[in-house]
Amino acid sequence: MKHLEPINRKAGRIEAHTEGGGHRAGGYGEADATVGVPTDPEGEHDVVALQSGEAGAHIPLGCSLVFFPGWEVDSTGGTAGLCQPVERDLFDCHLACFWPAHVPDQLNYSPDWTAKCAAAQNDWRNIDLIFP
Amino acid sequence: MSRGRGSGPSLVGASGRSYFFPDIRLADVGRQSPRRHVLPEPIMRLATIAALALFAPSLAHAQEEPAGLPEGGIPVESQLVRERCAGCHLTDGTGRMSRISYMRKTPEGWQTTIRRMVMLNGVELEPATARDMVRYLSNNHGIAPEEVRPGLFEVERRLIDYDYTADDDTEATCIACHSMGRVITQRRTGEEWELLMATHRGLYPLSDFQALTRGGRSEDGYAMDRAVDHLSEVFPLETPEWSAWSATMRTPRLSGRWALAGHLPGEGPIYGRVDIAPGAGPDGVETRTTYTVARSGREVTRTGSAIIYTGFQWRGRSFEGPGEEGELREVMLIERDWQEMSGRWFTGAYDEFGPDVALSRVTGGPLVSGIHPKAVKAGESTVVTLYGAALPDGLSAADLDFGPGVAVSAITSSSGERATLRLDVAAGAPEGSRDLFLAGLSLRGALTVFDEVDRIEVTPQAGMARIGGAAFPKGYQQFEATAYSDGPDGEANTADDLGLGVVAAEWSTEEYAATLDDSDISFVGTLDQNGRFTPALDGPNPERVGSRNNVGDVWVVARYTPPGSTESLQARAHLVVTVPLYLRWEPWRVTGG
Repeated sequence: MKHLEPINRKAGRIEAHTEGGGHRAGGYGEADATVGVPTDPEGEHDVVALQSGEAGAHIPLGCSLVFFPGWEVDSTGGTAGLCQPVERDLFDCHLACFWPAHVPDQLNYSPDWTAKCAAAQNDWRNIDLIFP
Repeated sequence: MSRGRGSGPSLVGASGRSYFFPDIRLADVGRQSPRRHVLPEPIMRLATIAALALFAPSLAHAQEEPAGLPEGGIPVESQLVRERCAGCHLTDGTGRMSRISYMRKTPEGWQTTIRRMVMLNGVELEPATARDMVRYLSNNHGIAPEEVRPGLFEVERRLIDYDYTADDDTEATCIACHSMGRVITQRRTGEEWELLMATHRGLYPLSDFQALTRGGRSEDGYAMDRAVDHLSEVFPLETPEWSAWSATMRTPRLSGRWALAGHLPGEGPIYGRVDIAPGAGPDGVETRTTYTVARSGREVTRTGSAIIYTGFQWRGRSFEGPGEEGELREVMLIERDWQEMSGRWFTGAYDEFGPDVALSRVTGGPLVSGIHPKAVKAGESTVVTLYGAALPDGLSAADLDFGPGVAVSAITSSSGERATLRLDVAAGAPEGSRDLFLAGLSLRGALTVFDEVDRIEVTPQAGMARIGGAAFPKGYQQFEATAYSDGPDGEANTADDLGLGVVAAEWSTEEYAATLDDSDISFVGTLDQNGRFTPALDGPNPERVGSRNNVGDVWVVARYTPPGSTESLQARAHLVVTVPLYLRWEPWRVTGG
């Protein structure tokens, strides 16, 4: 990649971004290795194109990556690949009982969860938090 | 179907300060959204496919083999459990009951079960009755200390990485939806593990596609079949650990004075005492706790109560002041010798706040809990505070032996519970930890002598917060910066490195560029100078592309300049700010209604 010149504006922005250090905390040097952050002095691997990059370092407890995208994080351990905003397809998760540990399920515990909220993206403040 | 305040399940009544089955009422615990924490009504849905799948096995037994429950099993001797469960569960001549006799669980596990019976199967119970049932089942169909220890993170509500390495199929099958902690803190017969899997398939039909049959069928069946085989083998009902524990199990006698040492994330070490007195019931205790936050000097007094389940599982609630302010839920494991117990006290919408604690029984002789600050620099004089219990009267420098290169030059104050010392550490004193000897007792690694701070680390290395505050509670994340010396070899991350304790760092966030120009840092929330991250509001944000929520990834950066140094040290951790949970399976939560 070092021998290629960007020929469009987006590629130029990416190059400027990486060279400008916007993706790095900057000035860490050896400290990176000591805190477990992959040392990458040339920044070659630090910009991840959405969720298609290298696997992330961490999958938080309780999240799920068997379904894609996952609930808390995507397959890289970040949030770039999540369905967003979450309200957009929240009721699909409910109707299909797709996230039984994260979203109330329509089949058993919460058949009328959507009763007070016709469109989650608009009425999300009316959604109940459920304790089965 | 009505919901919310005034309507609710059949689980009603007053419960006081109990850990399990508290009042069904609205209880804002400070940071939670004060509305719409709803408990669903009990739902009679036995006609559904799901419920048929759940109960078909036991009903089939009832019809085909009225007295033919499987061999083994734990007889149910509680008249209460027999009466309240016999509506659906079969009892045979030996006292065994279908399903119930063939599994063992933590108190949390049994509470989840009983709640499910209320929610889905129309069981009507007063909270006091439900608590008695949890108590009986936990004591008689419980789990041994050795069995629960690997899964303590589950009941202590710790957000940790946990890899279940014993079987990939089992891990993949279970963590598709929930933590492995729920699984490894149960014991069941092989048939019961099969029925558990059937329950999941019945209640959540999509779980077949999502996990249970994922990967297709091989010679030894689906992933769920292999998981059942594995669980039946490694987590059976009958184990030597449970046989041994249930033979000697009794209510521990805990009354008396205990020394408390702990760590409160964000505030640092805490030292104090817990006075335990007999409480309600044969296994209840009352507590009064006082402790000092070593770094700030803040004094805290708490009162509470707890019940000891299965002879070793402490479940309590404590408060600051006479009301229900500052509630902490207390989960501790009491060691078999009744001399030590440890665990976590926690609060917060996602149980994210609260100290790790360790209690040591004060038996009359002196006891040293710890020293703050724990790290002293070679060539300098440092004032430290020694915390303990029953420290000798008239403590003198000669009583204290910190080892090579460390001299006590003054004792400026001394009481039975703490002493203030001035320590002179010789220039060139060897780096390393020092054991303290005092009046016939010792404290291993009481002090650490170091040359200089070489680096800092941020913990946790990967944190998670959840947006909230508008309709759903916020999930916070506390970070800490810990200083390290590279030790005598001068190389980082080697066995001789010395931890020097938490330091007061400057905190900031920096962009983690997973998506170009998404400016997560501008939306996800704020990080204060104590290392606590407060997430932004939930809901779509029209100011973001695609009305994204205020979710994102950022670096959390700590900078620290050691005293006398001109160079600042830096470290960082990854923070995921993500979406809320719309469903909470933690069965002990106080809920609205």
